[in-house]
Amino acid sequence: MAEMVRKSSVDEIVNHWILAGSCFLLMITGYAFLFHIDAISNVFGGYNSMKNVHNWGGVVFIISLLYSIRHYLIDALHYDADDVQWFKVAGGYLSHKVTVPPMGKYNPGQKLYYLAILGAGIAIALSGLAIWLLKDNAALLLISHLVHNVSFSIFVIAVPVHIYLGTFANPGTFQLMVSGTLSLESAKKRYPKWMKAAGKM
Amino acid sequence: MANETTNNRKALLVTPEACIGCRACQVACKSWNQLPGIKTTNQGTYQNPPDLASAALNIIRYSEVPSQENPVRWLFVSRRCMHCEDAGCMTVCPSGALYRTPEGAVAYDRDKCIGCKLCVTACPFDVPRYDADGKVTKCHLCVDRIGAAMQPACVKTCPTGALKFGDRNDLISTAKKDGFTTIYGEKDLSGLGTIYAFKDEPQLYGMKQNPSIPSSVVFWHTYLKPLSLFGLGGVVAAAAIHYLAIGPHKEKEEEKEV
Ligand code: HEM
Ligand code: HEM
Ligand code: SF4
Ligand code: SF4
Ligand code: SF4
Repeated sequence: MAEMVRKSSVDEIVNHWILAGSCFLLMITGYAFLFHIDAISNVFGGYNSMKNVHNWGGVVFIISLLYSIRHYLIDALHYDADDVQWFKVAGGYLSHKVTVPPMGKYNPGQKLYYLAILGAGIAIALSGLAIWLLKDNAALLLISHLVHNVSFSIFVIAVPVHIYLGTFANPGTFQLMVSGTLSLESAKKRYPKWMKAAGKM
Repeated sequence: MANETTNNRKALLVTPEACIGCRACQVACKSWNQLPGIKTTNQGTYQNPPDLASAALNIIRYSEVPSQENPVRWLFVSRRCMHCEDAGCMTVCPSGALYRTPEGAVAYDRDKCIGCKLCVTACPFDVPRYDADGKVTKCHLCVDRIGAAMQPACVKTCPTGALKFGDRNDLISTAKKDGFTTIYGEKDLSGLGTIYAFKDEPQLYGMKQNPSIPSSVVFWHTYLKPLSLFGLGGVVAAAAIHYLAIGPHKEKEEEKEV
């Protein structure tokens, strides 16, 4: 069997699915609130219990999001010249003929995605907690309602892009969130700078 | 962002000039809606309770506005939900608990309300209040009476005709014929369901000038809500097109890159 490289640790994988699961739950119940979708609220036993599911799901989400900092934040804050070049060729997504510069563990698109999720996630959690727990302050409630919904717009755009790129657009990537490993061969091709730093290349 | 227009819209017409401040309407409302009394303290005014409350869906506002001819002049105005056509409360409510009745009133389903208190932040008139369970309360134009072709309790009890209930257009044209130059709420927020007939400036009676829904709520309703739908749909469509037109990254091609 070919030598395997571990890209995602077990706790990273477990946490990713807690994050993704809670995020889906919040998006679905969030849509139900936004558009008064009785078919969804009935699944949760009405709007009152759906509110509890949403609020406590939010608590799970924010804990999981804060935990993810240890996996991604340092990488997400470092960019180099190859990253700039990556944007110039749009990561090779618009044409397979361009030359994509060598990448480290994460490409800059992933790094920015992480920062967007972290930023919007903290904003949506803080505003959500305010709507939930500080509802007697009308001015705060109004601004929190706006922040909650602006961040929601970021989520509904960023998350499906992420899912597409993590599955169909990049065959083989999905297993990084299942087993967490890939063959040394592929790792050298996809993440040459990371492999060099790890002394495998 | 009109929620819904009703053809035969009913309205409640308040004629403050005819009001004698007896507050029979406050009592009738409590009685019909089985609301408890509220303990209040003397605030140096006859206005009591001082503002709307979960057990006070309508109040008479007392203002002393002396004029040249009349040094002791009291103005009485019935304050309650305005049953706006563009109702900020309905727009913002995440559970759909607030709804419009066939008569055009804004009523609510107590069981659906999740007690988030967003509705009062979106109301131009600071109307909704919350009961001991945190659920919404406000004037609902006696939804259970008008639905059975009866008059609202407050109107039924009013001894002077300062409160009238009926076809909105008829009420407005009759009031105008009777010499009331200003109908407050005729056009505001696409037309209020509680309208006021004045001969003086409405501001004299403490009526709010140019009431409007908070701009953040309007922005959210007009742009953010559609964006959250079309954004998702757009990304899914773009991903499908990308997959078919350009296709996924292939290992083979990546070999060339290294
Ligand atoms: C700590 C995290 C969160 C908390 C405490 C929270 C709390 C709330 C609260 C209190 C509401 C108002 C309705 C209700 O009382 O249930 C709400 C609405 C909503 N939430 Fe969250 N939420 C959180 C995270 C999220 C996330 C991550 C999303 C989506 C990605 C989301 C999407 C929505 C949407 C779309 C609405 C409806 C907005 C509206 O009607 O204005 N929430 N949330
Ligand atoms: C079915 C849905 C999802 C799939 C298939 C999926 C797939 C993946 C994969 C394969 C990775 C690893 C990428 C790599 O290591 O190169 C990843 C990373 C990540 N995922 Fe997801 N994911 C999903 C949902 C979500 C959701 C809902 C969120 C957040 C709200 C999320 C947040 C993240 C973050 C923050 C990372 C790490 C940083 C990055 O790769 O950009 N994922 N996901
Ligand atoms: S006055 Fe306030 S509570 Fe009444 S319908 Fe208008 S927005 Fe809603
Ligand atoms: S408090 Fe009740 S009626 Fe008011 S917006 Fe929230 S769910 Fe709707
Ligand atoms: S219409 Fe009914 S609920 Fe509204 S103030 Fe009059 S009595 Fe009270």
